[in-house]
Amino acid sequence: MSTPAVAVCVDGLAKSFGTIRALDSVSLTVGNGEIYGLLGPNGAGKTTLIRSLVGLVTPDAGTVTVLDRRLPDRAILADIGYMPQSPALYADLTVDENVRFFAAVHGLERHAAAQSTADALELVDLSPRRHSVVATLSGGMRQRVSLACALVHRPHLLLLDEPTVGVDPQLRAELWQRFTTMAAEGTTIIVSSHVMDEAERCGRLGLVRFGRMLAEGTSAELRRLAGVERLEDAFLVLSEGTS
Amino acid sequence: MNGRRAGAISLRILHQFRHDRRTLMLLFGVPIILLGLFYFLTGGGSSLPAVDVVNLDQGPLGAVLATDLGQSTEISVTRTTAAQAASDLSNDAVAAYVVLPPDLSARARNSDVITPTVHLEGTQPALTQPVLLALDQSVTRASRSLATAEGVRVPVLEPSLDYLHGGPGLDTLDYFGGAFIGLVVFFLVFVVTIIAFLRERSQGTLERLMASPLGRADIVLGYIGGFMVVAAVQAVEVVVFTLYALHVHNQGDVALIILLTLLMTLVAVNLAILLSMFATTEFQAVQFIPLTIVPQALLSGIIFPVSTEPGWLQVVSRLLPLTYGVDGLRDVMLKGDGLASGPLLLDIVVVVAFAVALIAAATATLRRSAS
Repeated sequence: MSTPAVAVCVDGLAKSFGTIRALDSVSLTVGNGEIYGLLGPNGAGKTTLIRSLVGLVTPDAGTVTVLDRRLPDRAILADIGYMPQSPALYADLTVDENVRFFAAVHGLERHAAAQSTADALELVDLSPRRHSVVATLSGGMRQRVSLACALVHRPHLLLLDEPTVGVDPQLRAELWQRFTTMAAEGTTIIVSSHVMDEAERCGRLGLVRFGRMLAEGTSAELRRLAGVERLEDAFLVLSEGTS
Repeated sequence: MNGRRAGAISLRILHQFRHDRRTLMLLFGVPIILLGLFYFLTGGGSSLPAVDVVNLDQGPLGAVLATDLGQSTEISVTRTTAAQAASDLSNDAVAAYVVLPPDLSARARNSDVITPTVHLEGTQPALTQPVLLALDQSVTRASRSLATAEGVRVPVLEPSLDYLHGGPGLDTLDYFGGAFIGLVVFFLVFVVTIIAFLRERSQGTLERLMASPLGRADIVLGYIGGFMVVAAVQAVEVVVFTLYALHVHNQGDVALIILLTLLMTLVAVNLAILLSMFATTEFQAVQFIPLTIVPQALLSGIIFPVSTEPGWLQVVSRLLPLTYGVDGLRDVMLKGDGLASGPLLLDIVVVVAFAVALIAAATATLRRSAS
């Protein structure tokens, strides 16, 4: 498909679960090939926002447009990779079987699925463990299998909900290297995190709290806006005005 | 041992129950439902087996006997002609009909052996006993009441039994074998599917599938495909074992038995997917098992014939897919019915309809979004 200039456009998105307001009129535009970081404390609404981008949350108000298609649109999901916060895998299948399954589910035929699976496992550095049953893997390894499942079909848009939880610093650095390469090749990545050193690696950041988008910009812009040196402090300063 | 620490566990368990209302409802509700069912099935308010009586007796005993049978607490009697009775029996309208022969009074007067003929449908052993019991009681009462006036003494009752299907050569296993094939297969496939689908939900992979281009129908059909492969092997295994290792009597086409068994598993798979929507934990799913399986086992006519249930309960039985599966399996195995038989065809059509309706319902309840 032809790549649109804007990968994601969220406009006035609102969602409540009972009395809890998870998203309160959130708007967001992410350009093609950008790495966009969603920053915020637990319960800020990051996960709900990411889930709305794959149609898993039906908004109360507002619109979501992904890769030029207004959601809900099942067909466009073939071009999105979604990695949930907890590694959702079939624990009784091997690493290879899991990744292959998600390749097939996203429409890859047998041969292409096998090739993409090998590539994805290479990317997350799990090729030697590809025949291990997932239940026997450590938490960090499962996280990497989950990532492989999300990107095996080479999506144009990759949504990663806290992808590096439980991953050791060395591999985390490697993964971010890969993310940067993928973005350079045209993949748009939206990643949520509350780890500040990861946030520094994002092109742009959105500070989310109480279901609202408090501030947006590059790390440097946000630090300047708050008048502080460290991004962590910027986050605290910028959150204060609204709490 | 430490009372406070053990107490902490007890208290925690009670807190967990407090948070899991559905489990509590099942825990307190299911026994009442099941025991209530037992009450109604084993006599409390149940319907009596319908029996036609044809009186050909030229003497007085036949009429008195027929009247006495009419007041029996074991069976519900209609007096009719031999032709009508035979037709009622073959239409399943009655469980049996009794013909009181022309020489009944004459034989009774001579204190001879009387031999009314009891024509039994034959596929439901539970219906035979009440008929014979009622006849025995009525013969005693009727002949006593005529003892002084007519010189009748209590004769020896030796009814000759005539079976429309089956017969004295069939044992308990033969009667229940077919029905149990349906129950066993249904039960196992249901349990395996509901747990598998719930695991899909709880481990988060269902959400992942929902975030993929898969449609809801794709997921349901995929599940059907996967489970039906295993279910087909299981069906063949169960049928072959039942017929050739246990030598359960079969009068019909083995292919039809396998077809019915497979249809039951199709219903079970989809019922499980549908019900898994209403369970949030595997714990709750496990509790759907007694709630779905036990009432169906009781109400599907395997042990207690549907025709002797109280009227309202018969309606419930008619709403359960297993009732038709069991009926169909009995039609094939005990009556030797083929696809040309109306009742068997109806059973098959109803089971297919259940399967289709459940596939649609399972697909419809599979929501893309969490809310």
